[in-house]
Amino acid sequence: MIGGLFIYNHKGEVLISRVYRDDIGRNAVDAFRVNVIHARQQVRSPVTNIARTSFFHVKRSNIWLAAVTKQNVNATMVFEFLYKMCDVMSAYFGKISEENVKNNFVLIYELLDEILDFGYPQNSETGALKTFITQQGIKSQTKEEQSQITSQVTGQIGWRREGIKYRRNELFLDVLESVNLLMSPQGQVLSAHVSGRVVMKSYLSGMPECKFGMNDKIVIDKQGKGGSSEDGGKSGKQSIAIDDCTFHQCVRLSKFDSERSISFIPPDGDYELMRYRTTKDIILPFRVIPLVREVGRTKLEVKVVIKSNFKSSLLAQKIEVRIPTPLNTSGVQLICMKGKAKYKASENAIVWKIKRMAGMKESQISAEIELLPTNDKKKWARPPISMNFEVPFAPSGLKVRYLKVFEPKLNYSDHDVIKWVRYIGRSGIYETRC
Amino acid sequence: MPYLGGEDTVRELRRALSNPNVQSDQLRYRNTILKVIRAMSQGVDVSGLFSDMVKACATVDIVQKKLVYVFLCSYAALNPELSLLVINTLRKDCQDPNPMVRSLALRNMTNLRLPSLMEYVEQPLTAGLRDRAACVRRVAVLGWAKLHNLQPNSEIDAAVVNELYSLLRDPDPVVMVNCLRALEEILKEEGGIAINKPITHHLLNRLKESDVWGQCEVLRILQRYRPQSEDELFDILSLLDASLVSPHPQVMAATLSLFLSLCSGLPAVSLAALERVRGPLLAACGSVSRELRFTALCHIQVSLLLRSLPGLMGAHYKRFFCGYAEPAYIKQRKMQVLVELVNDDNVTMLLDELKGYCTDVNTDTAQAAISAIGRIGRSYSDRCLEILTGLLALKQEHITSAVVQTMRDLVWVCPQCSDTVCLALEGCEETLQDSQGRQALLWLLGVYGEQVSSAPYTLEVFIDGVRSEVSLGVKMELLTTTMRLFLCRPAETQDMLGRLLHYCIEEEPDMCVRDQALLYYRLLHCGIEETQKVLQGRRSDPSLGVLIGRPSEPISQWACSFNTLEPLRQGTVETDSTSRGSPEHVTFEPKPNTDLSDTLNCSQVEKVPSGETGRTPFLARIHTDTHKPLFLASLPFSYPFNKCLCFYMPI
Repeated sequence: MIGGLFIYNHKGEVLISRVYRDDIGRNAVDAFRVNVIHARQQVRSPVTNIARTSFFHVKRSNIWLAAVTKQNVNATMVFEFLYKMCDVMSAYFGKISEENVKNNFVLIYELLDEILDFGYPQNSETGALKTFITQQGIKSQTKEEQSQITSQVTGQIGWRREGIKYRRNELFLDVLESVNLLMSPQGQVLSAHVSGRVVMKSYLSGMPECKFGMNDKIVIDKQGKGGSSEDGGKSGKQSIAIDDCTFHQCVRLSKFDSERSISFIPPDGDYELMRYRTTKDIILPFRVIPLVREVGRTKLEVKVVIKSNFKSSLLAQKIEVRIPTPLNTSGVQLICMKGKAKYKASENAIVWKIKRMAGMKESQISAEIELLPTNDKKKWARPPISMNFEVPFAPSGLKVRYLKVFEPKLNYSDHDVIKWVRYIGRSGIYETRC
Repeated sequence: MPYLGGEDTVRELRRALSNPNVQSDQLRYRNTILKVIRAMSQGVDVSGLFSDMVKACATVDIVQKKLVYVFLCSYAALNPELSLLVINTLRKDCQDPNPMVRSLALRNMTNLRLPSLMEYVEQPLTAGLRDRAACVRRVAVLGWAKLHNLQPNSEIDAAVVNELYSLLRDPDPVVMVNCLRALEEILKEEGGIAINKPITHHLLNRLKESDVWGQCEVLRILQRYRPQSEDELFDILSLLDASLVSPHPQVMAATLSLFLSLCSGLPAVSLAALERVRGPLLAACGSVSRELRFTALCHIQVSLLLRSLPGLMGAHYKRFFCGYAEPAYIKQRKMQVLVELVNDDNVTMLLDELKGYCTDVNTDTAQAAISAIGRIGRSYSDRCLEILTGLLALKQEHITSAVVQTMRDLVWVCPQCSDTVCLALEGCEETLQDSQGRQALLWLLGVYGEQVSSAPYTLEVFIDGVRSEVSLGVKMELLTTTMRLFLCRPAETQDMLGRLLHYCIEEEPDMCVRDQALLYYRLLHCGIEETQKVLQGRRSDPSLGVLIGRPSEPISQWACSFNTLEPLRQGTVETDSTSRGSPEHVTFEPKPNTDLSDTLNCSQVEKVPSGETGRTPFLARIHTDTHKPLFLASLPFSYPFNKCLCFYMPI
């Protein structure tokens, strides 16, 4: 039971306030601002208790979203709800920023009304919500649309309306992954995981039944070795072990639990089919080898080698290595083999950018950092070297094996559907200690 | 639009609203209303426009209707009479053929929150319960809960309650869950909705149909159900097994909570359930969103999950290593979890990692890391002391302070460490700046005075600077330390003690310090033996050894608070070592609440310890620095986190 929802900008001005239950008074809005947004110290916890009222907040860019309650609620649920709320809002107007919130405040009030009633979550699926929300051009409704609402509200499939038609049946699959790594200076992997998403854009007519297949270890093992031998040879790794995954509500979970097959009737347009996480056998696209030498008290020598560790036919893009420098740096001399490097005093870091880099290559940068002598005995904390990149494959090793579409009622078959798939691996928190 | 100049805005808006040209043009009318709402959300008082807005309500344009309702719901309470006018329109809308209009009208009717309108609302609500569109039924069901909430004393018709119970079998899952929610609220006095066997089985069978929020609700309410037989219990458990490893953390947590309450008599089953959720729990700890990570960590740490089942996460300790960019609150939680996970195999790795955090940019995190090392030191004292001593060499103010405090706490429970600690203390006083650290140093000097050769010299520096000392706590500690040192090394200390007592009695402005000095002065008159009895009454037990293995705690101890706010609230208590003085005063009473203030006031909360400013007589104020009540009788010693406090005798 959420008692109220508030949205503030970074200054603490209230952009949206919606109170659902009487036990939340007007002063709650100000209490959160004074005690959390304007507090002198850093945020101590995402949950704040003020006078037996709990404030749960999340931040999106510089916008604060706070849910307030007086009851002893399930914190996980409230946070999940706030995330869902953010998702819904960004589905309507893109990024959650002060500008967008101000421009869409009527829409937000409308959404808040539909999503929560008396503080209880009611309907949080963007697709199904669209029929209830009048803002953004949906004018008064025709008879036909009215009957749709009824079928939508009573029917089992809340996320797709009937009677969708496309001339070209097309679908796009994006496998988006972010690799997270924490490596010790000696090159030992301290922790690594990939969190990935399969995002689908579907432009399919009717109520198609889809079946999605990937190189999930459990499925492959079940099918026996015969099935996977053709494509297995090249990639080197045949199947992947998925630690955990979540699906869009359209996926029939019972089928997944029993046969581990992913079958569903997709929503129309853009949506996230599944989210997953793997921790085993991750292909780390880059290896960072740092070498820091302190030459006396006023000089540091840093050498960083990066090695790309994937097929040489592939190209990584937007590579950026960020090497932190001490606060008392006075000057930096840089030599790099490839790309451009710059010392950014305002960020206390050397930023080395490489536009493109092929696999199985290596490149290095050396820097001489001159330091101002200080009497400050504080030892430099040596923050880790972080890295950003984009690679055209999935670091987890995930491969889409098939996506079959069946629509028995309309006359198009699986072969008529144009299907596209693309893999993008990005860096999450990719750090090497030095 | 500025906050000021609201009157002009209101006047202009009223003119526009009553302009017939605007009224006839739907788009212009809609835009004018939009402006009113914008003004409202910017804090301009537009309540004066109420009657104009009521007129605007009677329209076929749904967009306009929704806008007007937003306005009406915020200002209805201020204009109860005028609100009566709206009711007619709303009631008419309840008959509309469009289910969306019906649900909208019904919802806003109940959102007006006016007790005077109750009588008009009941009839449409009853009709709404039998509406053929599910979205209207959803609203109607919750409408009854709102109605009850508005007038908690009035009896809700038994027929309605019966109808709500029968709607539990509604084909729409949201209606079903809303019924549960409504009945919970309406029947709060009677302990909520009656959960019997048929209802339970019905709810469980339909669990899969509802969305995640609904599932959480159902699982929470089912906690009250007690299965009649063991067979039934196991049937329920196997039905719930799938949700236990649900990918949605909120469902997983709710299911685990239900499992624990159902299996309260069967510890073995609970343990098996915990084993099963290990994967999802760990996943939640590594989740992308920091708030979820924080919540999961809190549950792992505070709910004593680890203490009930130490082996549960042991192999996965690396998952709790901190990332550089993580917020401080997550880092601190992770450290506390790491402390629980330590064992012979991973202790080297863990300490290496924690050592890295000690130099964190955030001072709170650094201090938390140091105190975490201290906690591990209770089992692995040698290694930890080595690290702590190494940290002293950094000569950084906040690190040294935290290290000295940690050493003080460590020495109290592991007296065998005292030799190493005493060696390390030399020279610390130069780097120590804050009062907590200096207090800790003084305490150590007092208790281990005979082992630290330079103790009198260090004290002399303190005594010479006592005039400019601002912290009350340090002054009081200084007095006690000087007295203690005098008892073991009288020749070196006598002169200083005299000077200190003289200053404190003659010149010190603070009553509390003065009274303590007087007490000591009189105590000295009673003879050395009396003094010794008072000042060295309490020492930690020299037979204390290292802690080997913790007793595992039963699950039932924390099961009831699982998946509530409890674990998140307790969080800050254990890290918070700032408010205590010396280990004798450690009471381990958790802070009663971590609320910032008791009322929702808007002024900045200033936490001023009462001891710093107030002027209260001595007896009520001994050791106000630690905010502890005064015990005049010296209490018997007990190991180690004793509840007794001071060591004073009556004068």
